[in-house]
Amino acid sequence: MTAKNELQLAYGIAIVLLIIGILSFTAFSAKPPEEPVRIMFKPTAGKVLFTHKTHAELGGYGIDCYTCHHHPEYDESALRPCGDCHSQTQERTEPNTCRECHEEGELETENTPKRSDAFHDQCIGCHKENDAGPIECSECHVL
Amino acid sequence: MPDSKKFIVSHAPFWHDGSHITTRNYHTLLAALPAVIFGMIQYGMPAVGVVSLAVSSAMIWEYLLNRITRQPVTIGDGNAALIGLLFAMLLPATSPWWMVITGTLVAILVGKEIYGGIGGNPFHPTLVAVAILMLSWKDLFDFDAALVDYEFDFAVAYPLAALKHFGAWAVEGFTPGGLLMGNQIGGIGSTFGLGIVAGGIYLALRGIIRWEISVSFLAGVFITALIFNLADGARYAGPLFHLFTGYTLIGAFFFATEDSSSPVNFIPMLIYGAGGGILTVLIRNIGVYLDGVVFALLIMNIANPLLDKLRPKALGKVI
Repeated sequence: MTAKNELQLAYGIAIVLLIIGILSFTAFSAKPPEEPVRIMFKPTAGKVLFTHKTHAELGGYGIDCYTCHHHPEYDESALRPCGDCHSQTQERTEPNTCRECHEEGELETENTPKRSDAFHDQCIGCHKENDAGPIECSECHVL
Repeated sequence: MPDSKKFIVSHAPFWHDGSHITTRNYHTLLAALPAVIFGMIQYGMPAVGVVSLAVSSAMIWEYLLNRITRQPVTIGDGNAALIGLLFAMLLPATSPWWMVITGTLVAILVGKEIYGGIGGNPFHPTLVAVAILMLSWKDLFDFDAALVDYEFDFAVAYPLAALKHFGAWAVEGFTPGGLLMGNQIGGIGSTFGLGIVAGGIYLALRGIIRWEISVSFLAGVFITALIFNLADGARYAGPLFHLFTGYTLIGAFFFATEDSSSPVNFIPMLIYGAGGGILTVLIRNIGVYLDGVVFALLIMNIANPLLDKLRPKALGKVI
C-alpha cells in the first residue's frame, strides 16, 4: 500500500468512526432503566453501592416497594428518589417536594430526617430486624 | 511520510525486510479486536460510541497537531488509531464524550507528539493519558459507579474494588475460568482475558511484540501475588485472580510491549517486565489505587533507558 493510499484509508476510518461515535452518543445513546438496577450513593463518609433491584425483585429479597418508599403510603407518587424528600445536609426541614401536595403552613411538624439518618435507620434497621445484610460502617461504606 | 522524491542515505542495514510501521500497527489493531468486540457485545451502544470516538478523535488530534506544527501528516501509519483504541479499551463503557476526546488529546499531544512523534515517546502515550485522567477525575474510573445500570449473569462488582474494600473473601465467587471468559466488569476491552491472550500470542508470533516482556510481566504479577497470598490469605487474593482482573493481561500484551518505551535486550526485557508485574501487585495490595498496572508500567517506562544499558558482554576479547 502506498503512502497516499494509507492516508486515504486513515481519513476514511477517522470520518466513519467519528460519525458512528457521534451517533452513538446522541441518537442511539442508552436510556437509563425506569427502575434503577444499582445505585451508587456518594456521601462524604464513603461510597455505598446499593443493589436496588436485588432488594426489590421477587427473585432477590422481594421487599415491597412501599416499605422504603413510604410516603404517601401505598401511592405511586412515593416511588421517587429518596433525596427528593430527605435533604442531604439540612436536618428537620420541610423540603420543597412537600409543596407538590401540601399547602404552605398545612404541615405543622417539620420532621423529615436528613438523608443519612433516614438511610441508616432504614438499612441498618431492616438488616437487624431480618438478621441479614451489613450493619457495620465499613461493610457498606467504601472510600 | 518521508518525501519519496528525495534521496535517502542511511547506515546499514540497506536491505529492507519488508516490515512497515503501518503493518505493525494494523496488526496490533487486529489483535485487539476480539477483546474490543466482546466489550461492545457486553456493553452495547455506549461501548461502540466510546471506541469509535476514541479512535477517530485520536486520529483527528494527530492530524490537527501535524498541521499546526507543519509536519507531514502521519495518521496513515495507524499509530494514532491504535493509541485511541487502546485508550478506549481501558475506559468504562459509559464514559462521557468529553472525557474520551480529552484523553485522546492528552495521549497524542502529551504522550507522543511533543516528543517528536512515533518512536520518540518515553512512555506509552495511552498510559500517560489514562494516568492523567485517573488522577484528575478518579470517579470516572469507578467501574462500580459507571456501570450501575448494567445487569449480567455474574457478580456485577469490580473485582479489584471488592478485594480492596472487603478482603479476599469478597472475591471468592470469581473463578479464574470465569474471569478469563470475561465474567467481570471493567474497561471495555480489558475484561475478556482469553481474547487478549489470543491477540497477544498472535502479536508475539508475528514478532510485533516481545514475548519476553509479556511473560516476565505476568510472572512478576503471579509470583508477587502468590507471596502476598501465602503470607495472609484472608487479606490478599490469589495469583490467578490478579492475573485475570483489572488491566493485567492487556498491560502485559499491549502496553508493556510498546516499541519505544520498552527495552530491546534480553536481560533488560526480563527486568522491565518483572519489575512492572511486581510493582503492579505492590500497588494493588499495599498502595491506595485499585489497579497498579498503569502506574507500574509508567514507572518501568522511566527506567527503560537505564535498563537497556545492561548490555550483554561483547564476543571476543581485546588482546
